[in-house]
Amino acid sequence: MRGSMSLPVRSQGWVGLGLVALPVVLLAWLIIYPILSAVASTIFVAQPGASAISFASYQFFFSDQYSRANLWITLWTTLVCGVLLLAIGLPIALYLRFSRGPLSAYVQGLAIFPMFVPSIILSYALIRTIGPNGAVDVLLNAVGLPKLPSPYLTPWGPVIGLVWDNLPLTVLMLTAGLGNIPTSSIEAARDVGASPLRVFLSIIMPRMGNSLLVTTSFAILGIFSSFTLPYLLGPASPEMMGPFMQRTFSDMNDPVNALTQAVIAFGFCLVFGVLYVRSIARNRGGV
Amino acid sequence: MRYARLVMAEMDWIGALLALLLTLFIALPLVVVGTWAFSEVWRYPAVIPQQFGLRYWSLTLSRTDVWDALFLSLRLATTVTILSAVICLPAAYAFARMKFPGRDVLFLSFLASHAFPKFGLLVAIAGIFLQIGLISTFWGVVLIQLVGTLMLMIWIPVAAFKNVDRRMEEAARDAGATPLRVFWSITLPQAAPTIAAALLLTFVGTFYETEGAWLIGAPQIRTMPVLMVTFINNQIVVQYGAVLSVMLWVPSFVALMLARRVVGTGTFARGLGA
Repeated sequence: MRGSMSLPVRSQGWVGLGLVALPVVLLAWLIIYPILSAVASTIFVAQPGASAISFASYQFFFSDQYSRANLWITLWTTLVCGVLLLAIGLPIALYLRFSRGPLSAYVQGLAIFPMFVPSIILSYALIRTIGPNGAVDVLLNAVGLPKLPSPYLTPWGPVIGLVWDNLPLTVLMLTAGLGNIPTSSIEAARDVGASPLRVFLSIIMPRMGNSLLVTTSFAILGIFSSFTLPYLLGPASPEMMGPFMQRTFSDMNDPVNALTQAVIAFGFCLVFGVLYVRSIARNRGGV
Repeated sequence: MRYARLVMAEMDWIGALLALLLTLFIALPLVVVGTWAFSEVWRYPAVIPQQFGLRYWSLTLSRTDVWDALFLSLRLATTVTILSAVICLPAAYAFARMKFPGRDVLFLSFLASHAFPKFGLLVAIAGIFLQIGLISTFWGVVLIQLVGTLMLMIWIPVAAFKNVDRRMEEAARDAGATPLRVFWSITLPQAAPTIAAALLLTFVGTFYETEGAWLIGAPQIRTMPVLMVTFINNQIVVQYGAVLSVMLWVPSFVALMLARRVVGTGTFARGLGA
């Protein structure tokens, strides 16, 4: 058999490597090198004469009360968003898995819709909706209810925005996971009289482990270092790691501490990154 | 049978509830911003604006900073999309069709580039750009946005090239066509719709890319999203931002719907490892 393009296999190898060389170089230069460089430049501090290993910037981060508060609010936001996304996404995905018809298409359409709304437009829309005297206040007032305290510029502002923004991928990934569970095994359980709750706990959940893991990992990676939504909807202090890094880098003109914050963000997300990569590697089994 | 019907009725009830809640949660903010774009006076606590009109459209469109940002964003998005296509499409073909050492590891490493918290990565890149003077430059923003397009621009076209009917290619080759001719007349036309969708997604995604542009470009490079951020920060007239949202979002929404028709929603999920 000849290979594609009628080239002998050996030269095909070189042509293939040549074709992928550019993006690989870009990947190495703009992803791998910056990460290694960020780690190196925050640990090896230039001293007169030679550079020495120093954890001073990390010591500063973990001893500085403001930095710790920012890390804490980031972890809190990530956790709350993760829990809310699963609590909202799982019922929607379950519904979409087991129902057909126009109503199901409408629910799917709405759940996917935020994918087509850039976060800058979402921020704008949410300020007008949940901000002071926004649409929620208008509607509550119209039906004679008192105003709620506005979540805008509180830690709940970014939570609402991030859940809105991440809902489509959560639903899609969970629906894809549910799609892998054969209908026959669910029907078999139903036939022997298992209640829907029992089917969910004994048949569906045990098979959703991997899917839940990928979905949560992906959401956490996105939320932990989100920038636009917390920057525009969240409080100025404490702030999430995204806005904190941006302010340290640009406004404070302090790249060393900004890079330290970035490396700390990598560290906290490492577990989820590894889980995510392991799962895509297993699902694909190569190209 | 009766049990099935009972379950269906239950599902409809749940469906109606989900539809109602999702409508409130997802649609309300968008309806609000759409209404703001067409209202001249909307004071609390009126549910409906006191006065509708297009006055703010002409006011927004007469601002020079809006036009500057629009043309800059279009120039950036076009540059990034073309570069991304030139760099990624040949690689996608190689990943889909050729055997070479390290293929699987390299392909996986593109997907793995999403395994880092994105803004941390951007800050790490900004640290490099600071040393080589790319901060606040057009090409600095091009490069940082290019990084974000790599994965999408590789894995969607890989799927496209893999779905091309191999028998047609072999038939053409048996009839004496040169490899280039086969690629040009058989492979490319079949893969074209999906590749076009990937280009469209890349263009729209780059147009709205905010984080890299803000971190690397500000304050010199003011793209459309960066301009909208400054509108929010400076609390300029509400309608400016609303008008821009509607004006920019509608064409991109149409484009994305077209792209989705070709690529299919499930592909997104699968591509991300679901």
